[in-house]
Amino acid sequence: MTPSSLGEGLPIGERVHNGPVQMGNGGTVGRGQAAATSTDARRRLGVIVVDALPVVRAGLTMLIDDRPDMEVLAETGTADEALEIVSRVRRSRVVVLVGLGLPGEHDAFWLMRSVRERFPAHVILGCGGNADATTVSRALFVGADGFVDKNIDPVEFLQSLRRAADREMVLAGPASASVGAIAEGLERRRDLDVRLTQREREVLSVAAEGLTAREIAGRLGVRERTVTTHLARIYGKLGVGSRLAAIRIAARAGLVSVGVPD
Amino acid sequence: MSGETLSVVIATGHGVVGEVVRRLCAAEHGVEIAAEVGDGTAVLEACRSLRPDVLVLDDRLDDGAPDLGPLRALREEGIAVAVVVLSDRGDGPAVLQALRLGARGFVRKSAGLSGVGSAVRVVADGGRAIEPEFEQAAVMALGALARQAREGSEVQAALTPREQEVLTMVSQGLTMRQVGRRLGISPRTVETHVAKLYRKLGVRSRVQAVARAAQLGLIEP
Repeated sequence: MTPSSLGEGLPIGERVHNGPVQMGNGGTVGRGQAAATSTDARRRLGVIVVDALPVVRAGLTMLIDDRPDMEVLAETGTADEALEIVSRVRRSRVVVLVGLGLPGEHDAFWLMRSVRERFPAHVILGCGGNADATTVSRALFVGADGFVDKNIDPVEFLQSLRRAADREMVLAGPASASVGAIAEGLERRRDLDVRLTQREREVLSVAAEGLTAREIAGRLGVRERTVTTHLARIYGKLGVGSRLAAIRIAARAGLVSVGVPD
Repeated sequence: MSGETLSVVIATGHGVVGEVVRRLCAAEHGVEIAAEVGDGTAVLEACRSLRPDVLVLDDRLDDGAPDLGPLRALREEGIAVAVVVLSDRGDGPAVLQALRLGARGFVRKSAGLSGVGSAVRVVADGGRAIEPEFEQAAVMALGALARQAREGSEVQAALTPREQEVLTMVSQGLTMRQVGRRLGISPRTVETHVAKLYRKLGVRSRVQAVARAAQLGLIEP
């Protein structure tokens, strides 16, 4: 994000563009800018597009800006920039569209949780390609108000944005066929959270990266002995005999992601 | 599946419902009624021995509350069968519950059951046979579940181990005095813990606390 693109106290409806894609600045997509000054700008649905891929952001921006009732307020490719942008937007009816697979330390789930905690009035919509039930339940658990799949029809995609903005829970795409499995995932995650302490969950999610007890200790800044004690207690609580079995339970509950999330 | 015969087990405790479902299934080409049963044990036995393609299950086999217990039992035994649930209810939690237990068809009894025949065929082919409004109701219920799961996790994180212990005991019906004796602390200290618990749960009474904690999944229901 170029610092100059984001002035202090972002005016309502001002478009902010980030990353290599600079659409609209040269008037290519001028409707959003011109309309920002008109009286109905406040009523229009404002969308913040967060996705790792510039082409996806560009495509979504074109699609959304082409509609009279909505506009893209900003787009970015990282969670940290996204949170920064969200904190500066002053208007109601905002949908934060979060694509999975954001690069860096802070991933899409971190972003959804952060927006939910700090800006509860905004609508958060998770977005992915053929996401499985565990991934969707994880997004809902951390704070998403719905989940849309990237491979759905554009008209349905836009309709999902509108419905989400109207506070309707939205599941569009393959996820809508796995409502039952998503519910199970949510319940598994809650049970895991209730059974394990925050520290134990941290230990387990670091362990899922395949680190040794010594390495986990180094990462969390505790003694190796403490880590093995935590692990033993986790196994006991989960009723398993091995680290692998514990990680499998955590993965099924969406506490940790094993493999590529998107 | 077209061309082959679909075998169907009908489970309902109500003669009229059974009669209607049987007629509607019979009207579908290539559908064969393998058995008609009227209680949970018989549902399990029929599915175990006959291995039907489809089970049409009334969620009220007797006059009690709606119960999808047979589906849970089938699942635990690992018996794979496509399921259509017949229900008086159409609220989100009811539909969501049916979906969670593996049903792919959901037909409201009050809607005249006319959709049963086609639903049997659709679920046998691996599809879903649920009215869009019921499906959306289930999705809304899913949203509520997600909120509760999140809140449950947050409240849990805010509770101290001692408060968690007190909550469990209070939910078991123990008095302050009894809780104090078990934990080896004074009733006065228990009251302090309870007051903090109430605040964290956002409740004002013991009954509310237990209800809220159960809803959030903090205690066994």
